[in-house]
Amino acid sequence: MRMNKIVVDDMFLTTDMPTTAGSKMLEGYNSLFEAEVLTRLKAAGYTVAGKAKVGEFGADLLGETCYFGAEYENEVLQYPAAVAVKNGEAEAAVVFDVNGAPRRGAAQSGLVALKPTYGRVSRYGTIPVVCSGETVSVIANRGADCREVFAVMAGHDHKDGTALPDSMTEQGKASVTKKNKVAVLSSMLKGANEEVQAKIASVSEQLAKNGIEVVTVDADIIAYAGAAWNILMCAELCNNVSRYDGVKYGYRTQNYTNIDELYTNSRTEAFGDFLKSAILFGSETLSTENYQKVYDKALRVRRVIRDNMVALLADCDALLMPAVSAMSYDKAMVEGDKYLPYKENFFTAPASITGLPVVVAGGVQLVGNAFSEDVLLDLAELV
Amino acid sequence: MERDVLRRLCLLNQLSLTDTQKDEIIGFFADRDADTATLDAIDTENVERMVHVMPVLTVVREDVVNQPFSREDLQAGAPETDEGYWCVPRVLD
Repeated sequence: MRMNKIVVDDMFLTTDMPTTAGSKMLEGYNSLFEAEVLTRLKAAGYTVAGKAKVGEFGADLLGETCYFGAEYENEVLQYPAAVAVKNGEAEAAVVFDVNGAPRRGAAQSGLVALKPTYGRVSRYGTIPVVCSGETVSVIANRGADCREVFAVMAGHDHKDGTALPDSMTEQGKASVTKKNKVAVLSSMLKGANEEVQAKIASVSEQLAKNGIEVVTVDADIIAYAGAAWNILMCAELCNNVSRYDGVKYGYRTQNYTNIDELYTNSRTEAFGDFLKSAILFGSETLSTENYQKVYDKALRVRRVIRDNMVALLADCDALLMPAVSAMSYDKAMVEGDKYLPYKENFFTAPASITGLPVVVAGGVQLVGNAFSEDVLLDLAELV
Repeated sequence: MERDVLRRLCLLNQLSLTDTQKDEIIGFFADRDADTATLDAIDTENVERMVHVMPVLTVVREDVVNQPFSREDLQAGAPETDEGYWCVPRVLD
């Protein structure tokens, strides 16, 4: 059935609602233009039912750093966009996967999420945070719904320099062949609790019942993606949020007597602790002392990881791995470790750092080769 | 991390931290540094950096003259303006 009601997360610029990126820095900010994906969805007949809260600049676990308040239900952290879909307020959520939050939210809510190949959907009109990895994504109840929304959003956009040319997409799609085989990455199971490991086993069983060969592979190298991603993520975040200084738009402190105090106090008062940690770490990785041994190293590790994943995917349709360490984050756990997102990135980083597509279904991730969204969504329908 | 390095990073990034926040950040950096050190196990000799995950070259498009937004529109969200200018405290004495 054709869907018509969507919710978007607060990382997309809208002209009829404020856009805050979950930050005090952008409280009440009204954009003069809207995100390209929203223009496309509206033209196709979709209605934007509202905006869902995000963590500050979409970089946290599930929105716990949102200036406007985190969402907890029975002391369990909730991802607002997933809640909107789950409660039927919208048939799908269009979300911005900056640091894995939409995938964690979908996994813990029992929903399906699609993070497409990097560059297949325009990022024009999104709040830039981690430009080399962030991807417009979709969450829905079923894989078919994700497919429908993705089909409308995808395609080249001349306003986004990272949007892939249609010719490249067509060529890439034509090179994808179905192998009816999925590989469980044993190296990615460490750190996942028993409930998550049971999800992996259950999805594997379900796929096998449907004629998919399921094998287990060791690929220790992929377990390094989290460490490399944290470096690149923070470095890019640090640069992207340097534009917020209290001058042209956004929050300005009332407490200043000179220009340095205006900059420093505006940023100090508006940014939360998690964001500050990312800014400072990102800045350190880009310093003269660390650039080669940290940032440059992470860029080279990114290639090694991608090459290894692509090599594994030459023989199978998807790499099966957890999306989270636990099927819920309780309040004590979240509030007791404000740096938890850096640890949870262990699971979401392989797809983030490589730009490969991933589908979340049955509470787990299926990461595929570039342009294999249709194959991944076919697999999602089996679990 | 030494406090002096943290002080320099804060200065560069126009941030100010309380003593408690400084202690937390120093602990956080210790974790990150340990995490980063694990990457030394990967041989990246002769491996090219991967800045872009897809092989897209810089896109050049035709120059088209337009003026989508007025000065008034652009300054509508500014904290303080005066006669079409953004206002900041006096920079030169």
